[in-house]
Amino acid sequence: MLANLTSSERQNAFAIAVLVTLAGVLMAAVGRTDTLGIQGVIVILFAGTISWYIMSSFYAPEPSEDRSASYYDDPIKIGILLSMGWAVFGMFMGVWVAAQLAWPNLAFDSGWSTFGRLRPTHTTGVIFGFGGNALIATSFHVVQRTSRARLAGQVSPWFVLLGYNLFCVLAVTGYLLGITQSKEYAEAEWYADLWLVLVWVTYFVLYIATIARRKEPHIYVANWYFMAFILVVAILHIVNNLAIPVSWGSAKSYTIWPGVQDAMVQWWYGHNAVAFFLTAGFLGMLYYYLPVRAQRPIFSYRLSILSFWGITFFYMWAGSHHLHYTALPHWVQTLGMTFSVMLLVPSWASAGNALLTLNGAWHRVRDDATLRFMMAAAVFYGLSTFEGSFMAIRPVNSLSHYTDWTVGHVHAGALGWVALITFGSLYTLVPSLWKKERMYSAALIEWHFWLAIAGTVIYVFAMWNSGIIQGLMWRTYTEEGVLAYSFLDSLVAMYPYYIARAFGGLLFLIGAVLACYNIWMTVRTVPDIARAADVPVVPSVVPGE
Amino acid sequence: MDFSYETLVAISKSWGLFYMMGFFLCVCVYAFWPRNRKRFDHAKRSIIGQDDKPWQK
Amino acid sequence: MGDTFHRKLERSSILLTLGIIAAASVGGIVEIAPLFTIDETVEHAPDMRVYTPLELAGRNIYVREGCYACHSQMIRTLRDEVERYGPYSLAVESQYDRPMLWGSKRTGPDLARIGGKYSDFWHVAHLTNPRDVVPESNMPAYAFLNRSRLRMDDLSAHLAAQRTLGVPYTDEMIENAARDAYGQATPDTDFAAGVTERYGEATQVSAFDGVTTHVTEMDALVAYLQVLGRLTDAAYRNTAASELPPDPED
Repeated sequence: MLANLTSSERQNAFAIAVLVTLAGVLMAAVGRTDTLGIQGVIVILFAGTISWYIMSSFYAPEPSEDRSASYYDDPIKIGILLSMGWAVFGMFMGVWVAAQLAWPNLAFDSGWSTFGRLRPTHTTGVIFGFGGNALIATSFHVVQRTSRARLAGQVSPWFVLLGYNLFCVLAVTGYLLGITQSKEYAEAEWYADLWLVLVWVTYFVLYIATIARRKEPHIYVANWYFMAFILVVAILHIVNNLAIPVSWGSAKSYTIWPGVQDAMVQWWYGHNAVAFFLTAGFLGMLYYYLPVRAQRPIFSYRLSILSFWGITFFYMWAGSHHLHYTALPHWVQTLGMTFSVMLLVPSWASAGNALLTLNGAWHRVRDDATLRFMMAAAVFYGLSTFEGSFMAIRPVNSLSHYTDWTVGHVHAGALGWVALITFGSLYTLVPSLWKKERMYSAALIEWHFWLAIAGTVIYVFAMWNSGIIQGLMWRTYTEEGVLAYSFLDSLVAMYPYYIARAFGGLLFLIGAVLACYNIWMTVRTVPDIARAADVPVVPSVVPGE
Repeated sequence: MDFSYETLVAISKSWGLFYMMGFFLCVCVYAFWPRNRKRFDHAKRSIIGQDDKPWQK
Repeated sequence: MGDTFHRKLERSSILLTLGIIAAASVGGIVEIAPLFTIDETVEHAPDMRVYTPLELAGRNIYVREGCYACHSQMIRTLRDEVERYGPYSLAVESQYDRPMLWGSKRTGPDLARIGGKYSDFWHVAHLTNPRDVVPESNMPAYAFLNRSRLRMDDLSAHLAAQRTLGVPYTDEMIENAARDAYGQATPDTDFAAGVTERYGEATQVSAFDGVTTHVTEMDALVAYLQVLGRLTDAAYRNTAASELPPDPED
C-alpha cells in the first residue's frame, strides 16, 4: 500500500501515526486510574501498528509512473475489506443480543456481556463500522470517477479511513468497558468524539478539493448526496456531543444539554443520523452504482435534484416525532409530524426514480442478482419511508412508540435498504476496482440475495407482530375499565417473536459471511482482465507537446 | 433585545414557512431552468461507459 | 482562461456547500432555539432537589450499563400509561438530567416513577438475578454490581462538572461528595447525618444492599432507582387530565 507514496509522503504519514501513538501514551498516562487509560493503550496499539508498518517498508521503491494518470484506489480497497469485516462483527453482535432477549442467560457473569453494553456494539458496528466504511470507500470511488480526477491527497485518504476506524474501535471497546454517553447512536465519549471531528473535517476538505479538480462545470448528483452526508453529519455530531469531561483523566463527560433540550437535540441528531448517514450517503451510492450496473442513465436527473433538496430540507424538522405525547412542547411535536409526512414526497421520488431507471431492463434484474440487490433496496427504501411517515402520525405513534414496531421499522430500512444497496454496490465495485473479469461466484451472490431477503422479511414480520401485539396489550381495558394485561403479560407474549427475529438476523448474517468469502476469493483467484485494455493512452507523450 | 418564548415561536412558525416556500421556489427554478437542461442531460449520461482513468489535460 | 474556469468550479462546490447548510440548518434552529427560552418549556418546581452523590453515581451506572435501551423514563400523556405507571412526566422532572434517559423502547417497563414502589431488598434480589423474582423476565443479571466497590474518590469532580453546567450544587455538597455517598449507604453513622442535612430529610438513607461495611455499585444503583420520580412532587399537582387513546371509530 505504501508503494504509491513518495518518501516525503511516507514521512508525513509516519509523523501522523507517531503523533497519534503519543496521544495514546498521554491518554494512558493521565487516565491511568480510569478506563480512559485502557482506551489509551488501544490507541497506542492501533497507531503503533500503523507506525511500525510504515517504518518497515519505508525504503521500498518509490512510485515511478505519473500518479495523476490513474485513480487512487488503494484506500478504497482497504475500506471495502474493513467494511465487510465490520459487517460480520456488527451483525454477529446483533444476532447475539437478539438471542439474549429470547434466552437471557446467554451472557457471562460480568458486565461486558450484558445486553445494555452489547447492544451499542451492534448498532455502532453495523451503522458506523459497516455503513460508514462502505460510505467512505464508495464516496472515494464515486467522486474520482464522476469528477474524472484523482483524489486530492495521498496521505489524507488514509488518515480519513484509518482515523475513522480508530474512532469505531474506541467506541466499541469503550462500550464493553462501560464507557458510554447513553445517547442513542452517539454513545462514544468525548475524546473519541473530538477525534472524529478531526477526521471528518479532513474528509470534507479532501472531498471538496477533489470535486474542485473535476473537468465538468456540473457536479454529478451522487456527489451532492455524499456532500450532504459529510457536512450534515459533522453539524449533527458536533452539536449533539457538546459535553464537558469530568476531568482530563476521566472517560466520563456530561452533555451540556439538560433534560427536555437534550431530548430534542438527541432526536434531532438521532433522526438525522438516519437521514444523512443512512439515507443521503446511500442514495449517493444508488445514484451512481445503479445506473452504472444497469448501463442506463438515471430516469430523471431533475427529479433527483428536486428530491435531494426535499430530503435535505425536510428531514431536519422530523426528529421531534420521536417525542410524541412527551414533555416536549406540543407545537414542536406537531411540526415534526407534519414534516415527517411531507418527507414521503421526496423519498418516494427517489425510490421511484431508481425503479423507473430499471424500467425496460427487467430481464437484467431477473438474471443479475447484483442489480436485483439494488432494485430490492429501492423497494425497501420506498416501503420503509412510507412506514416511517405513517408512524410519525401522532395517533399511530401512540401505539407504535416504545414497542418492537419501531425496531422492525429501523431494520426494514437498515437491512432492506442500507445493507442491500451496499451489497449491490460492492458486488459492482469489487471486480472493477481489482480489475477482475467478474465476481468469483454468481451462485453465491444469488444465495446471498435470497438469504438477505428471507432474513429481512422474517425479521420485519416478527417485529410488526410483536410490536402491534405489545402496543395493543398495553392499552387494552377490561369491561370494568381496568387495564387488562400486566406489563409482564405483554413480555411473555413476545418470546416467540424474539426467537423468530433472532433467526431472521442469523440468515442475514450468513449472507454477509458468504459475501466476505466471495469478495475474498474474487480478489485472490479470479483472473485479471486483459492488461492491454488497462494501459492508459497518455496524450502527453505525443511528440511536439 | 429580549426574546420571549412566544415571539421566538411566532418567528419560527411564520418565517420558517416563508423560508421553506422561498427555498422550494429556488430549487424548482434551478431544476427547470431551460439553460440547465443540456448540462443535466450530459451529467446523467456521463457516468455510463467511462474508461477507467482520470481526465488529462 | 484556465484560471477563471477553475474559479467557476470552486464557486459551484462552495455554492452547493452553502445550499446544503442553508437547507439543513433551519429545521433544527426553528425547533430547538425556542426551547431555550425556558419558561414555558420547563415548569417551575421550587421543591425539586438535586441528586445526592450516591444517586448520581447510581445514575452513572444506569448510564454505563445502557439501561435506557430497554427502559424508558418518560410516561406519556396517554390514559393507559398514566394508569399503569403514574402521573405523566413533566419536563421539569428531568431538568438536571444529563443525559436525559427518556429512552425509546420498553422491553421492560417504564421506570420514571419506580422510586419507592419496591423495597431495597426486592431491587437487590431482582438486579442480582431477575429470574429469581420474576421467572418470565428476560433482563440481564447484574450480580457483578454486588462485587464491585463504588468508586467515590472522583465524586467531587462529578458534582463540580454538573455545577459548571448549571446544576445548583453548593460548595459544601461538592466538598463532601464522597463522605455523603458513603453516609447515604451507612445509616446511623456521622456521615449519614450530613446527607439529610444537605439534601433534605426526605432523602433515603439506607443500607441498600444490606451490607454496611463497604459501598458497592449495587448500593448506588438502588439508591438511584429509589429516587426516580421523587425529586419533586410537581407531577402530582396541577396537571391536566391524561389523553384517551385515539378511538378508531372517530
